[in-house]
Amino acid sequence: MAGFERLARAPLAIVLLALAAPIWARDLLITGAKPDRLVVIDAASRTIRSEFHIPDADGSVTTIVPSPDGRIAYAIVGRTERIVGIDLHTGKAVFRAELSTPGERVKDFFGLTVTPDGRELIAYELPVLLSLSEYQIEEPRFAVFRTADGLGAKPVRSFSAPRRVHMLLMRPSGKSFYAIGFDLYEYDVKTGKLLGTRGIRNWELPGHSQPDLLAFWPVTEPTGVFTSPISSDVAEGGKSVSTNALMSLDLNSGALSFDDFEPFSALIFSTVLSPDRKTAYGVYTTLTRIDVEHHKLSARKPLDHTFYAVNIASNGKELYLGGAMCDVDFYDAATLEKKAVVKLPDCADQSLSSLRVVHTR
Amino acid sequence: MSELKPTNRKAELLQKAAADGHMDEVMAMETVAGCATTFDPGWEVDPFGGVASLCQPMEADLYGCSDPCWWPAQVPDTMSTYPNWTDGKASAQNDWRELDAVFPKK
Repeated sequence: MAGFERLARAPLAIVLLALAAPIWARDLLITGAKPDRLVVIDAASRTIRSEFHIPDADGSVTTIVPSPDGRIAYAIVGRTERIVGIDLHTGKAVFRAELSTPGERVKDFFGLTVTPDGRELIAYELPVLLSLSEYQIEEPRFAVFRTADGLGAKPVRSFSAPRRVHMLLMRPSGKSFYAIGFDLYEYDVKTGKLLGTRGIRNWELPGHSQPDLLAFWPVTEPTGVFTSPISSDVAEGGKSVSTNALMSLDLNSGALSFDDFEPFSALIFSTVLSPDRKTAYGVYTTLTRIDVEHHKLSARKPLDHTFYAVNIASNGKELYLGGAMCDVDFYDAATLEKKAVVKLPDCADQSLSSLRVVHTR
Repeated sequence: MSELKPTNRKAELLQKAAADGHMDEVMAMETVAGCATTFDPGWEVDPFGGVASLCQPMEADLYGCSDPCWWPAQVPDTMSTYPNWTDGKASAQNDWRELDAVFPKK
């Protein structure tokens, strides 16, 4: 009997041991690469955990949006005419929406977001009617898909959208989302009603020219704050000084700010905010650290090559650099020293793919 | 302009836009992507008049320009016009010698 008792208690012992051990949460990096790759990298071990091939990606993987539970990555593929959801455990396609139809070509330039409950996707559609003798440009629109509709998803509703939008960002409430274009628009998820417009091109900053903004990388992790470099000319002493600023949009509070931090001395393509909210990091041909509290350049180092995309560890200690070429580089957030490089299979280019971080157990 | 007459609907729309005072809606780059929408100088010169702030190396930017039809005059756009230009050439840094010139379709 004693032997049976030990056997019966064994599973319980394993459970207790597991509970006593530290909870092992880790960052997984998700990036896309040509022609159809979705690559999952384990940040802790600097290894490629999975390499999936997205069906009918047709050579391009651009915006990647993880589901709120981190189980699915939705990607714009097929020369921006298709959205495919990939299960990050199995690699199988679990969602697919064809934006174009035989008579209408529809492109989605980077605009994609998912509701907090994971049930709906919202895409930004640019439709063109393909007639026999002419192409007729139609009005842009937001199209809403149910993720549960699987591989043959069709829009369940759509509503009109402004032109020149390249990023959609869902608010945590799930009731509304932001669209970033010439200006910052907020729309009701259910009704499509425009709830408000705030200036970007039409910002009201005294002494500043109209700004230049390249908002293609929809990174809001880990803070829930989207940041982006934005540049303008600032009037100073009768002269015009080109200036880099940091745009910051808190998805939870809705707070929007533009803060100059340096005379324009280097290009920056994208930025990410540290979880301490005191520091932001930007990339292009240099790695830039921005003092967000005091609005000034904190540090800058040259990079091995151009990177379009940057992200940050959930604890803020490491930076992840991707986009453009075929490597994801790891940098120390405090020293800006390179710590590791992960080469993607076949040295496939990431091009304009997002670099996202999923914090998972 | 009064001596020019539109011969198709697109030209009519352009003429109407000019007559209605909408021509000022053509603006320089800002959060805009897509064919022929940018007025960046391209790969020749950076915003400072030099080359240090161009993408390094050029191959880092090659597919970042062909995929979104960024500079269709310099790089074939794989978005619409030359969708197969990068087929079998997933790595610009390794495969750039294999990328062919393109020619207008007749």
